[in-house]
Parts: sequence; C-alpha cells; structure tokens
Amino acid sequence: MVTSSEAVLAATGRILLGGVGYRNLRDLSAGPLVIEQLGASLGERVDVEDMSYGPVDVLFALQRRDPYLAAIFVTAVERGRVPGSVSRRVWDSPPITPDELQERVAEAVTGVISLDNLLYICGHFKALPQRVVIIEVEPLDQDWGEALSAPGTAAVDAASALIRGEIADLLAV
Amino acid sequence: MCFKNLPIEFDAEGKAHLRPGVLDPYAVKATTNVLTQEEKIRSLLAKNGHIKEVSIDPVTRVAGALAFHSVVDMKERKVEDAHSMATLFRGYEIILQGRDPRDAIFISSRACGVCGGVHSNCSAEAIEMALGVVPPPMGIVARNLGQAAEFLYDHPLHLYLLSGPDYSAAVMGQSNPAILKRAQTYKARGAAVHGFATIGDIMEALNPLTGRLYLEALEETRRAREMTVLVWAKYPHPQTIVPGGISATITLQTLNEYQTRLAYFMDYSKKMIHIWDDVYDFLYDVEPRFHDVGKRPINLIDLGIWEHHEGYDASYKNATAWGDRRWATPGVVIDGKLVTTSLHNINAGLEEFVDHSYYEDWTKAPQKFKTDELGNPLSPYHMWNKQTLPKPEGRSWREKYSWATAPRWDRQVLEAGAYARMWTTASSQKIPKNPYIETTGTSMKMVLPAAQLPEMKVEWVIPHELNAIERNRARAYAQAYTTLVALNNLTAAYDLMKQGNTAVSADFTIPKDHRMGVGFWGAGRGFLSHHLEMENGALLNYQICTPSTINASPRDPFGQMGPYEEAVMNTPITEEFASEAEFKGADILRTIRSFDPCMPCTTHVYAGSQTIVREVNTCACILEDEGEPVPAGGD
Repeated sequence: MVTSSEAVLAATGRILLGGVGYRNLRDLSAGPLVIEQLGASLGERVDVEDMSYGPVDVLFALQRRDPYLAAIFVTAVERGRVPGSVSRRVWDSPPITPDELQERVAEAVTGVISLDNLLYICGHFKALPQRVVIIEVEPLDQDWGEALSAPGTAAVDAASALIRGEIADLLAV
Repeated sequence: MCFKNLPIEFDAEGKAHLRPGVLDPYAVKATTNVLTQEEKIRSLLAKNGHIKEVSIDPVTRVAGALAFHSVVDMKERKVEDAHSMATLFRGYEIILQGRDPRDAIFISSRACGVCGGVHSNCSAEAIEMALGVVPPPMGIVARNLGQAAEFLYDHPLHLYLLSGPDYSAAVMGQSNPAILKRAQTYKARGAAVHGFATIGDIMEALNPLTGRLYLEALEETRRAREMTVLVWAKYPHPQTIVPGGISATITLQTLNEYQTRLAYFMDYSKKMIHIWDDVYDFLYDVEPRFHDVGKRPINLIDLGIWEHHEGYDASYKNATAWGDRRWATPGVVIDGKLVTTSLHNINAGLEEFVDHSYYEDWTKAPQKFKTDELGNPLSPYHMWNKQTLPKPEGRSWREKYSWATAPRWDRQVLEAGAYARMWTTASSQKIPKNPYIETTGTSMKMVLPAAQLPEMKVEWVIPHELNAIERNRARAYAQAYTTLVALNNLTAAYDLMKQGNTAVSADFTIPKDHRMGVGFWGAGRGFLSHHLEMENGALLNYQICTPSTINASPRDPFGQMGPYEEAVMNTPITEEFASEAEFKGADILRTIRSFDPCMPCTTHVYAGSQTIVREVNTCACILEDEGEPVPAGGD
C-alpha cells in the first residue's frame, strides 16, 4: 500500500546521483568522471554531485536535505570481475557488526573515500532514501594519473548510459 | 647551551657554530644494541613458554597504514620488544619536484585526509619565505581562524572517535571488566558540568556508534567543518590558501557566522575537560599502573603555530622573533625542561635517519648546504640536504622494517603532539597578552566565556610524567586552548575590519633565482615542517616532516627506539585475560592511539624522478625475523 506521503515523494521527489572515488587514480576515478560526463544533463529533478568528500561529511549533507525519492551512486571498485565491466545492484543494507561499522567510521573520519563506507554509515544513521542503486565499474589501470585504460574509458560511457536509463525509469514511476 | 650531542656551540652574540677541532661533526657510529636486543628476545622465545609475539596489522582506529609488532611476556605482564611499522609508501615529494611552488599548497594538502589545511598553511609559509612575501594582517588572522577550526574538528575526533573508545564501556568491559565495575559506582566530580553521575555513565556514553558522547562528537565535527569552510571557502583541501594570504573574502557576516558556531565550542570545551579529567583521575585512582601505560621520557618538540598578525614577516632571518610571538610557542623540551624556543636552533638540530627505513642513505653524495642563510650549521642529514632514495630491501628487525624515517633533534628521540604545543607554550610564557589565556611557566590558565554554561576558569598544569593518559588529557585542554586562540583572532579580525584593514592577500612574483624556504607549523597532532629549495621558478626539492613521522619512527642508527616503540616498551599489561588466546593488546593499543597516529602523512618519498611507478604497500606479515615469518594479526 502506498501512503500519501510516499505518493507525493514519488511525484515531486528528487533523485540524487552521486559519484564517489579518488581523483587521478585512472580507472579508480570512474565515479567522479561519470558525474562530470553527465553534468546537468539529467533534468532539474536530479541532483548530480561528486560525493568524494568523505562519508561522514556526506552524511551531514544528506541529513540537512529533504528526503530523496531515490539515490544512485557510481564508483569504481576492484571485486575480481572482468576489467571494464559495469555492474548494477540495488543496495539492500547487508548486515554488519557494530565493530565493523565503527572501523568504517574510523576510516571515514580519517580521510578514506569509499562508497561502501558511505553506504554503511549513511544507512546506519538513516540518511539514505529507501531506494538506492549502485553502479560499479571494475577497474583495470589503478596507477596514479589522469588517463583511463581503454576498458575503463568504455566503462565510464557504459555507466553513464546505464544511469540515464535508471533515472528515466525512476522518473517514470 | 641547548645542544648536548651535536657539536654546536654559540658565540657571545648567540650565533651558532660548530665546535672547532671536531673532524667529522656529524659522524654516525651505528650501534650493535639492536642485535643484542634481538638475541635476548630469541633466547626468551626459546626458553620461556609465556613469551608471545603480538603483531597488530593494521592498527585500527588510526589514520592510515600502521602495523605494530611486539613481544610480550604474558607471565610477567610486560613488553619485551616493540617495532613500529609504517607499511605504506607514498610520493608527494616526487609529484612536487619541478613544479611551480604554488602547486605545493594544493598538492601537499592531499597528504592528509584528516587535516589537509595544516599542510596548505605550512606550505604557504615555506613559499612566502622563499618569495619574500608577507600576508596582510587580515590574511594572517583568517588563516588562523581556519586553522583553529580545523583543530576543533581534530581534537574531538581523536578523543571520542579514535582514542576515546579505548575507555568506553564496550572496550573496558572486555579488557578491564573489574575497572568497569568500579566505574559504575564511582562518582564523577564534574557531574554538574557534563551531566554524568558516574564514571560508568561516561564510559557508556563513549561507546562507539551509540554513546551520547560519540554521537555528540560527530555533530561537533560538523560544526567545526562549517567554521573552516566559512573562512577557507572549501574543505577538505582548501583552495583559498595562497602565498601572501588567502583568496577568500572575509566579511562581517563571515565573522558573525564563525562566532555563532564558536560559542558552542566554549561549552563543549568545558564539558570535554571535565569528562576526561574525571575518567583519567579515576583510572589513576583504581589502577595506578595506568601511570606507566605509554610512559616515556619527557622529550618533546614543537614548531609553534598561529602567527601573530603584527609579528609575522615570513623571513628566515627573523624566524625566531616571529616564532616567539605566535599563539603557540615553538620549543624543545628535554627531560621535562624547556631548552630552546628558537626556530633557528630547532631547525639546526633536525636530522632524519634511514638506517632502519626502506631508503638508502643519501649522505654519500656531497653535502649541499653546510649552513642556513644565517650561518647556523646544518647536518648532512638535515631536511634541506635530504634526498630520499626508496629501497625496500634487507627486511628484518635488525635491518629495515618501516617506510617511516627516524627524525631526531640533537640526536635525541623527541615526541610531537598537541601536548608538546601546550607544554612549550605554557613553560615559555611568551604567548601574546590576551584576556583569555595566561601561561605561568608551570601551567596554562584559561577563561572560557559564558555561553549556555557560565564563564569557567580552567587550568592545564604541566604534568610530571608523559604517558597515554596525559597525552589524551592535554588534548582535551587543547580544545579549550584552540577555542580561545580562535576567539582572540576573531576579536583581532573585528578590530581590523573596524579599521578598514580588510586586505587578505599581498601580490608577489615567482623569482627565477635560487631560493630556500621552510614552513614551521603544526598539525592537530603536533610538529609539521615543509622544507623547500627552488630555482628557475620551480621546486628543486620539497621535504615534508610530519608529527607521525617523528612518533612512528623506527630505531635510529644509535639504537634508540622511536617514540611509539619506546612508549610500548614501558607499558605494563593491565588487561585482564584468562588465557593467552584472549589477550587483545589493549594497553599496547591505548599507548599507540594516545599519539593519534596519522600514517597517510608519515611517509613521503623523493625518488629523483617525477614518475611514481606504483604504490607499494608492505605488509608486516611478510617481514622476516631470523628467517621465520612473523604472523600478522596476532596468533
């Protein structure tokens, strides 16, 4: 059953698109690069933002805003998949022990930029919207520098296309 | 005479020179003590079933990659050996070489994800010295306001989110349950200020993620971040700090918004001091061995911080004079006594050794600078002469085991920290006259104005010992000190504005001739220096020495342990455990965390090339001791 407040949120709510990652780490910088590529082209109901400024600071930012209808986060992370591949999944708040969460907070406040940390911390403090979609790029080249590998470059384009489709679906609801 | 090991003397006018007749004044004679210690440990391991190797990798709740290896006698409950390992290789100096010096402000900021602003400021001062540009008063004050706000973030972070959980009910319940039980009925003397009836209540509130104090600290860090952004326009990694001042406009509204937030820190500081005084006094009372947890000799170093807007002229020539006018006074403390506040003397005594670090000795090449521009002698191991040549070979405890170097002053093991800053400032009595902070030579008296809580007078008394508790306690008082430095600078900013003195930056050009500079500054956790050399408008060499490089240092060529190692060696085991398998190393961790380690900014490398080939992360798990692998993560 859809409550009236959820219906209003669906009709008027905004969508957050956040990129997360370090700059100048080639393929590992895919998150912020996707954000740059998409820019303001997604319409006025989508807030596009580089959220690589620390999970706790992101938490503070989200706590001050009106609730989002949904959030899409894009990042690059090595998980042993085919380099240059792009995956999509819905964040379902996997369980984590308090000690593990505290370690992630400690990492966050000491400067580690990580989407996983952001999700666990913002999730713990109930700052995430109900629907969160994760777009991940599997990096090939992780050295210092600006240029991406060929698979990394293709993955940024593919991730951008995937996000456009995701947003279109969300706005159509 | 402040030097006792280096052959540096002073003439009647106070000018330093090398003692005549010393053939090789900076000769290094390596000791065999390291070997002797290892033989002792091997012997103990072979004979005594109670000896346990404890390897903690990584040390959690610290910034960055730190591993710690220790040998513990479980029966005697004491530590027999200790090694601190910075396991990450980084390369800021490589990136900076050949660049426009202005880039250093923005690039070096990235050395730390916690306190990038300190590197920006330190770098700006090093460049100002090289360029001969002096910021206008409002530019200096604005930098101070941002710098104080950055510390107002840093101190609670350390006390409540990183080190603080070591004293929470959740941790004490596992490591020291008997102490926790006593805490539950032990009345808190500061209850009227902080609102907690018992020490047990405070410990509950320190619990990670759920405790009231933990959550409050998170909120206060947000407020401090806002203050930083108000004056620096962006954080982390401010873009507005430039040589000659700042590039953000400071308006009355900026100051008003800063002041509104600063008022919260008046009360927060009052509570913070009472909370930690209560916890630590309780621990001393119920377990006197806490006096020895993390204990080491009172040998401290600090470069001072926060320029006085009427004192700073950015010149090396006058560094000692403007250093003495800072809101935190530079200084070296040996055996509890202040031996110098001169930035020239401090600079002249600095050396960095790499005998047990993954680098090659650079001193085989001819020494580039035998003196500074004033004629003060410089060691071949000094930062202005340093080249860092990475070489991760010979990996064993007796050879090399860390990416951190071993900085020393007058060849002594000194420690950096916010407490060093308070110590040198309190004992030197050189702080500018002001209504809120008074230094007595043995203490720092502070008046925290009324906010929601009434005006309160507090006094940090220089302790007679240096241990984990006193490091942390001083950090609580440092929050009040920082708040009041911010208030003094805010007042100065209002006065400048009233006078129409609102310029925040000075013009400059990048010279083509050879120049030198040094930033003498500090992070929340203490000492920070940036030494640079430039020519043709580009950096030739850039060397960063951070507080955690000093504190995490491995042994030096004289066999002296680094501060972490030394402090852990002196640490008794108060932890309760039924069997060795249950041993968690709580006292070792309390000791290490009391230094507030920040490893990302600890290891910096100049490799003679602008290209970083790859990042090397050296896991302690593959370090060999006499051919046998040392297990990681305990056993």
